[in-house]
Amino acid sequence: MPTIPFEVFRGSPGQTRFDTFSLDIPEHTPILTALLKIRDEIDPTLTLRYSCRQAICGSCAMRINGKSRLACLTPVGPEFRARGKLRIEPMANQPVLRDLVVDQGPFWQRYHSIRPYLVPDPQHPLPVGKESPMTPEQVAQFQETPRCIACASCYSACPAIASDGDFLGPMALAKLFRFVVDPRDGAFHERLLGVQNQSLWLCLRCNLCVESCPKDVRPAERIHDLKWMANQELGALERGSRHAIKFASNIREGGLLNEMKLARETLGLVGMLGQIPKGIELARHGKSIRKHPPIQGREELDAIYRELDRPEDLQHRPRVPGQGVKGPTQQPSKAGGAA
Amino acid sequence: MVGAGLAGQRAALEAIRSGLDVGILSKLHPLRSHSGAAQGGINAALGPQDSVKDHVYDTVKGSDYLADQDAVEILCREAGPTVIEMEHFGTIFNRAPDGSLDRRAFGGASYSRTIFAADRTGLALLQALYEEISRETRVRIYEEWDAIRLVSRGGRVHGVVALDRKTGTVEGFAAKSVVVATGPAGRIYARTTNSHASTGDGGALAYRAGAYLKDMEFVQFHPTALPGSGILITEGARGEGGILRNKNGERFMERYAPHVKDLASRDVVSRAIATEVAEGRGFPDGTCHLELMHLGREKVETKLQEIVGFCRNFAGIDPVTEPIPVYPAQHYMMGGIHTNPRGETNLAGLYAAGEAACVSVHGANRLGANSLLETLVYGKIAGANAAEFARKTTAGELTPEDVSTAEKELHALWERREGEPPARLRNDLQSTMEADVGIYRTPEQLEAARRKLGEIRTRYASCYVEDKSTVYNVNLTDAIELGHMLDLAEVIVAGALARTESRGAHVRRDFPRRDDANWMKHTMALWSPQGPVLSYLPVTVTEYAPKERVY
Repeated sequence: MPTIPFEVFRGSPGQTRFDTFSLDIPEHTPILTALLKIRDEIDPTLTLRYSCRQAICGSCAMRINGKSRLACLTPVGPEFRARGKLRIEPMANQPVLRDLVVDQGPFWQRYHSIRPYLVPDPQHPLPVGKESPMTPEQVAQFQETPRCIACASCYSACPAIASDGDFLGPMALAKLFRFVVDPRDGAFHERLLGVQNQSLWLCLRCNLCVESCPKDVRPAERIHDLKWMANQELGALERGSRHAIKFASNIREGGLLNEMKLARETLGLVGMLGQIPKGIELARHGKSIRKHPPIQGREELDAIYRELDRPEDLQHRPRVPGQGVKGPTQQPSKAGGAA
Repeated sequence: MVGAGLAGQRAALEAIRSGLDVGILSKLHPLRSHSGAAQGGINAALGPQDSVKDHVYDTVKGSDYLADQDAVEILCREAGPTVIEMEHFGTIFNRAPDGSLDRRAFGGASYSRTIFAADRTGLALLQALYEEISRETRVRIYEEWDAIRLVSRGGRVHGVVALDRKTGTVEGFAAKSVVVATGPAGRIYARTTNSHASTGDGGALAYRAGAYLKDMEFVQFHPTALPGSGILITEGARGEGGILRNKNGERFMERYAPHVKDLASRDVVSRAIATEVAEGRGFPDGTCHLELMHLGREKVETKLQEIVGFCRNFAGIDPVTEPIPVYPAQHYMMGGIHTNPRGETNLAGLYAAGEAACVSVHGANRLGANSLLETLVYGKIAGANAAEFARKTTAGELTPEDVSTAEKELHALWERREGEPPARLRNDLQSTMEADVGIYRTPEQLEAARRKLGEIRTRYASCYVEDKSTVYNVNLTDAIELGHMLDLAEVIVAGALARTESRGAHVRRDFPRRDDANWMKHTMALWSPQGPVLSYLPVTVTEYAPKERVY
């Protein structure tokens, strides 16, 4: 049995430190078990949230050697072998209360801001006395999101949360997806409209939420799905969606990004005025923006786009909401899939 | 509402929708409640051949005839509407190819009547109910508050005193009526499928306030838990076709339950596994094996997603290709705060529901997938009746002295400068209950347990909380919870010693048969300074006279 050093974050804001505890434990021991052993046998003043110890209550998310993880689900061995120690810190992006316990207020606030409940659809009331109808295709939309246990690992890992307080974050957006694809929900349009303007396009697509999620909800993919659906449902309403749609058509046209054209199409002529200082700055550094000459191997590009446009591929890849109840499925816009 | 799992939230929803203001106290965020750990499903007789009558019969038989049959009738009658209501609230259940709610087989049931959401049905229901509560404005949820006192006087409840974990402050909550729905108490045992938070707080608070505890000696051991951690492998695994084998490769359940084999009721299967191991037919690690390999990768990975994860993560086993070692672990308390079928306790204004309560619909042994059902059906009933009582009564008379007395006692514990740490006392309590009050019981063991619990009680008087911080002090809450567990453990042992028969989950080596002439009655326990005082209450029988239980 190896002796494993745990460097554990201790204290409250203004007075923090790391305490080191050494434990002789088998490598497959979950980190939560190790922390509880420290509490029971070495230092009962260590505090943390925990309950189920089987990755279903979502209480024990923390940073383990910098990575946001559920302590109950993470064995000590691999991290110990990779780094020679275990550095245990509270989750990021949330104020520390004490030791490993953070204030989850902002996290729950975002959750509640998406209206996390079914909004009745007056056109299609739920059947009285029996279950709502659901097609296998509609059921298939619920592959990942019901697995979410709201542990906030994704929220802790997300750099967009750290840099932009307006971002709803991976969990809330994955939750939003769960309602957007629900055939029982009557707020499909409003829900997409609510995030189209803001939150959707703040995602950096770094995939850290996917990597940190203990339940394989893959929030970044759900955010991508939401973008695709928003573009489909609402068209190019604002900057983010316009940028995504025009980016794809821009490349389809010339094979290389025509930045001037993209800026004009995304921001509009008036919007571009605001970019003049940036243009001057770029020019001063010898980065002129000009039209590229036609590229070679144009056929290959066309082949890529043909592949992307294949109807079965479009059907399979981006999610179509529960339109079976609400009306005909809209034709996917050509650029949407590549955005 | 004290407790914010399925029962507490369902009670709250009912009271809110009847037009009242509701406060919910919970030591966990509602979505972290142990309800979310329920895996297998929720029973409702919705299948074409199935009927409410069959569901009632199976439940009564499963209970070894200790359930109150009027209460069971309500449970089973309300099952269908409850499941449909939860579906309308947004629960994402598994569906059959035609879009209807899919059903799976479960132990002790005559038909496939378990509606499910993969193997995380509790989580699916908890999410949907919390979503439904989230649209309400007349509710305030006090998250991470520990109830430390239930105040009663003159046979009536007046409110709750609680500790805010985040700040360490103690406050009083005057209430016209209180619903206790604090869930399980499995942490009394060393090996349990229950979460760490499952410490029976509500039961102990109600007991101390003068409410009856009922049938506490009936402790369910789930047959299939992972050795060591006690993590549950759902009965749904056998419902989907999983098979138990001993070290000789024998499908031993054929001997214990020739008709339904691996899907006999839980007490039967748990005793079978314990017997196989005790008689030398277990594997060297003291387990039997649950095999799923023959079901095929797709079925295992889609219908039993969570347990595939549990096995891979917590036991290093792939159930698609290897057998799962299992041994019984404490799983459920059939007993709890005594209520009638209206959710009322013997104290005016005090209601209880869910696992913390005992109506009794489970009697001496609960059938799988009946507990999620109970939380919702009786949560709703308790909420409705608590609301009705609140409308007709004056405000609870919670005095400043009520709060300061509770606070002073807490501070006396908190400020003590030396003594034994709660962890050591808890370990002793858990190992005592595990060793002496388990699946098979003898009077010698029970007497020994009573003596040891007395010693732990004495030592608890000098329990020492080393952590002096006011911020999220789980060392302090450990000590509070330990006191609650100790109260309940004493009642379990007293009830088990007195009950000289074997029924359902209570098995006495010295009295191996059920004794309907003398023991067709509920054990009722009242708190006294000298320990639990027992009395008995007759079982309500409507349709089904007791018969021998054969599976």
